[in-house]
Amino acid sequence: MSGRLCSKAIFAGYKQGLRNQREHNSLLKIEGVYVRDETEFYLGKRCVSVYKAKTNTVTPGGKPNKTRVIWGKITRTHGNNGMVCAKFQGHWTQNPCDTLPFEDL
Amino acid sequence: MAGEKAEKPDTKEKKPEAKKADAGNKAKKVKMVKKVKKGKPHCSRNPVLVRGIGRYSRSPDSRKVLKHARKLRASITPGTVLIILPGRHGGKRVVFLKQLGSGLLLVSGPLSLNRVPLRRTHQKFVIATSTKIDISGVKIPEHLTDTYFKKKKLHKPRHQEGEIFHTEREKYEITEQRKVDQKAVDSQMLRRIKAAPLFQGYLRSMFALTDGIYPHKVVF
Repeated sequence: MSGRLCSKAIFAGYKQGLRNQREHNSLLKIEGVYVRDETEFYLGKRCVSVYKAKTNTVTPGGKPNKTRVIWGKITRTHGNNGMVCAKFQGHWTQNPCDTLPFEDL
Repeated sequence: MAGEKAEKPDTKEKKPEAKKADAGNKAKKVKMVKKVKKGKPHCSRNPVLVRGIGRYSRSPDSRKVLKHARKLRASITPGTVLIILPGRHGGKRVVFLKQLGSGLLLVSGPLSLNRVPLRRTHQKFVIATSTKIDISGVKIPEHLTDTYFKKKKLHKPRHQEGEIFHTEREKYEITEQRKVDQKAVDSQMLRRIKAAPLFQGYLRSMFALTDGIYPHKVVF
């Protein structure tokens, strides 16, 4: 399910132990992937968190607009149900309910 | 070209080092698509990047990169229909012609079908489908090499009256040579494309993910 050439995913939280979370490592739930074997396709793919802010910023290949991105990469699987670990260039900063990461094919 | 022998292992070690250094140099930019390297393929605003050409440093090591064996995925053979992913032609289905010396893929829309000209793309940014056309008889002009496609630097005019910023750049213009070559290759390809049923429409259409289509489940 997606816009055009990306898959959608949901930011499910940070990698964490019982009481400590590691914000440099995010957990994503990719749409359509609910089994560990199916995640292999996505490993190593880039992912991007797209969000909007108040001021305009430069967009490569387009006019400056309010959309911003944080790029990341899917690093490994997480668990048996298709969850995946990703590392973003900055820490994931948005609320889980607000933004969805996209996975580039 | 597929089938070349592998280079010595030490030359390959140089390459990842070069990439890491480059990554450190490029600061985090907002909306930066991918790490930019020199030697960009043809197209003025193309974020498709070229890896594998290596940096044009003066050190003798850099020349080894040019001698690297260029691999080609087994699924990509001349005549394969590829789906270009990033850039202005993202989602377009395109015919693969051959692999150039730098490892980049020479590809053509054909232009009349989907407005993709003779162009270079990178293997990594392409999905190879199992659909193939037989282009064994197509003669690709010899002069279509990396240097032919290399992006020309557009000169900023130096002395501008008044404005310092927003100076007009030379616009990219399609040379006659390109048009001629495009026609030469496309006419051969179109003959074969039209012979196959539904192919024209296929190349015209764009690839997109929609509801319920998950790339890991799609058979390309």
